[in-house]
Amino acid sequence: MKTILKAKNVTKTYGKKGTAAYTAISDLSFSMNEGEFIGIMGPSGSGKTTLLNMVATLDPLTDGEITIDGISVSSMNENQLSDFRSQKLGFIFQDFNLLENMTVFENIALPLALQNKKLDKIQASVHQVASLLGISDITEKYPAELSGGQKQRTAIARALIHEPTLLLADEPTGALDSKNAATLLDTLADLNKERKVSILMVTHDPRSASYCSRLLFIKDGKLDHELFSAGTREEFHQEILAVLGDLDRRPVAGVRS
Amino acid sequence: MILKLALNGLKKKQRDYAILFTGLIISIAVFYMFLTLSLNKEFILQNSVINNIQLVFLVGTVMLSVITFFYLFYTNSFLLSLRKKEYGLYELIGAKKIQIRRVFQIETMAITGISLIIGLILGIILSRVVSWLLMNQLNIEFTQFKAVYLPAVFWTMIYFLVTSFITSSIHNLWLTKISIIELLRSEVQNDLLPEKPKNAALMIFLGLFLLAIGYVALYFMEILRFIGLFTAPIATTLGTYVLFVALLPIIVRKWKRNKRVNFKGINSFTSGQLNFRLSSLKWVLATIALLIALSAGAIAGGFAFKNDAFTSIDEHWQYDATLYNPGAAEMAVLDSIPVEEQLTFRMKLNDEFIYLVQEELNASPPLIRDMVTYEVVRPDPLPEKLDIEDGNQIVSDQWFTALYAINPALEGTRSTRIVPLEEYELAEGEEISILLARTSDFSAHIEEWQKLDELQLNVYPDLVSGFDPEIDSVATKYAQFKTQYAIASGTFFMGFFLGLAFLTMMASILMFKILSGANNDIRRYDSLRKLGVRRRLLENSIYREILIVFLFPGLLGLLHVFIGMRMFTFIMDEPYYRLWVSILIFLAIYSGYYFFTVYLYRKIVLPKH
Ligand SMILES: Nc1ncnc2c1ncn2[C@@H]1O[C@H](COP(=O)(O)OP(=O)(O)OP(=O)(O)O)[C@@H](O)[C@H]1O
Ligand SMILES: [Mg+2]
Repeated sequence: MKTILKAKNVTKTYGKKGTAAYTAISDLSFSMNEGEFIGIMGPSGSGKTTLLNMVATLDPLTDGEITIDGISVSSMNENQLSDFRSQKLGFIFQDFNLLENMTVFENIALPLALQNKKLDKIQASVHQVASLLGISDITEKYPAELSGGQKQRTAIARALIHEPTLLLADEPTGALDSKNAATLLDTLADLNKERKVSILMVTHDPRSASYCSRLLFIKDGKLDHELFSAGTREEFHQEILAVLGDLDRRPVAGVRS
Repeated sequence: MILKLALNGLKKKQRDYAILFTGLIISIAVFYMFLTLSLNKEFILQNSVINNIQLVFLVGTVMLSVITFFYLFYTNSFLLSLRKKEYGLYELIGAKKIQIRRVFQIETMAITGISLIIGLILGIILSRVVSWLLMNQLNIEFTQFKAVYLPAVFWTMIYFLVTSFITSSIHNLWLTKISIIELLRSEVQNDLLPEKPKNAALMIFLGLFLLAIGYVALYFMEILRFIGLFTAPIATTLGTYVLFVALLPIIVRKWKRNKRVNFKGINSFTSGQLNFRLSSLKWVLATIALLIALSAGAIAGGFAFKNDAFTSIDEHWQYDATLYNPGAAEMAVLDSIPVEEQLTFRMKLNDEFIYLVQEELNASPPLIRDMVTYEVVRPDPLPEKLDIEDGNQIVSDQWFTALYAINPALEGTRSTRIVPLEEYELAEGEEISILLARTSDFSAHIEEWQKLDELQLNVYPDLVSGFDPEIDSVATKYAQFKTQYAIASGTFFMGFFLGLAFLTMMASILMFKILSGANNDIRRYDSLRKLGVRRRLLENSIYREILIVFLFPGLLGLLHVFIGMRMFTFIMDEPYYRLWVSILIFLAIYSGYYFFTVYLYRKIVLPKH
């Protein structure tokens, strides 16, 4: 099976030299195969978002290497990174980050327009992905006119339309009620199973995490635990709860340098 | 406690406050500049060719006050938007509404106070610099003009303090009504969705129709007179508003409908931004278009008046120099310039008559402007015999004009007799000679004319009884030009000063409106960056978006000026003279603001990483 993401000895230190530096991620390594649905869990402040942002090429690494689809992220300049993001990555942010001044259609079409795809191709793709996510009849509306769930599905559509190598999500259910959250995760799981989309998702929520095929637990910037889904989702859910309880009971050790 | 809260609020959000202060300071400086002129009655009255100039200034003051009021209202709502969330927090931790309102009022007044100090200093500096530049350029000293003018300082302070109090009171009313939750949530404001224009076609037609009426009225002002004077401003103003309100959303809509273009790169984002921006700014933009027209028009008008001093002098005087008994000094000056035509006439003067030689006149009839056809001609030869009626010789109208051209200082002081040479030789009286000289360009040799006038001052006392060189001026083209030019320069000065002030104000309103909304855009640009849009593309989008926002009012404003300048045909010959200079000035200021706005906006929405 093909490896699409490889993080090797990744370290992230905040703060300039001289000032009090804070190591958010230290010497962390993992790899991800094509078609995997990986969840990242951990206590608040453990470095989940930091890790995801580095994978997303939004934040430079202090040390180590991240390779996506065989390309080393740290060797690229700003423009190459931009292009890389727009072609290889799809994002779902916690607060959706839809552009309020554009219609749903325009929002979804943006990644393809950025790649200067032909209009016919853009329209066909938007219609396809919109009907996949059940938002075909609201494409002419503006984000301000949508419900939370509709916004979320629009965000997914935008993240998927250019068929990215890797879909990244930072607490995508954070702003949703449990019903909408379940729908969203079902959608993601479906996309993962049927269309073999690789997904890397940060989440706090054990129930959301139970949709993943593998979970990485991070604590104090280090990989603490790894969990594979073997049985049903409910079993996995219980397993996760057990691990989280266990993590909480261990004493916290700060990582300062 | 309250004061501490207020000052604390000032310290945070430095960038936003910088925008707020800049906006206020500019408006104060402009307001002050305007008042230094409009309150200075002596100056206005002495330097105007326009009747009712005081009325013009009154209208200007009212207009500026109204505009400034809205501007202050914008700046104050901007301040409120910066503070809303914090007020919500104060309220959450138990501050009373009345306390929060007091904080807001104190903040507003403190900000106005600080801006007043800086703004007045800036206004004084600007007034001094601009007036100094203009006076140097015009070679004229306006002694009545004062860059530091206490009544202007006083009224500027009163106006801004009172208006700040009013606007903050209005906003306080709003603060009373709003709930804590709304205050806390108001960090992220959603722009209003642009509404679909109703009856757009009809509105555009109406707008164009009104504009057409306004333009016709402006164009034919000379014929329409009073009707035109009323119709033109009303129809043009209404037309501009209707057109902007209806047309701007349509243009963006049309643009968006071109999908091939819209779905290319981040065009859809740019047009989306414009869609929201133009529909929320349409009223402001229409106002700006009108005021651009007024201010560019004032500058252009000033130039035209100044030029008119030259062209109108050429209308009345075909010969640039009229020299009585020219001596060697005069001839030396004349020799130094390229004279196209030079005529000399003799005449004899006694107590009763001025004698002229008929043969000399017929041999070299001077150029005159015919009072009927308005063409420059030489009069037909005089008939052999001229009748005398009531003691006056009867000559044709053309010769009547010509005699004044030949003898501007003395003609009319006694009876003129045009006689054959033999008779002239016999006539009693002191003989004098008059030299008329003409160049191709009067304005090119101003210094020489001035020198000639000075030399003639020695001749006039012997010629004209009671002539005092200290007080009286000689009857020459240059002397008349000088008076005319002084007044025209005053008008130019005022037009330029006012135009500049209004223009500065207008463009700064536009800048302020764009920048004050920039906070809402930060998130958008950040999302785009995360989605992988290159920085270059984002910058391009900003340049284009703001350019279009600036473009519409600029274009329509200029069109208004082009048509509107025609209106001045009934007081001057060439209203379009050097229109390009004022247009250049306008473009320089306007594009300066454009680039400055883009620069600041970029700094806000695309922070460096
Ligand atoms: N820009 C920054 N500068 C300095 N320190 C930072 C910065 N961003 C994050 N940190 C620190 O790095 C650590 C990890 O932050 P991160 O946002 O990755 O946590 P997280 O696991 O996503 O937490 P949460 O679950 O609350 O979102 C935190 O202690 C945080 O204070
Ligand atoms: Mg996080």
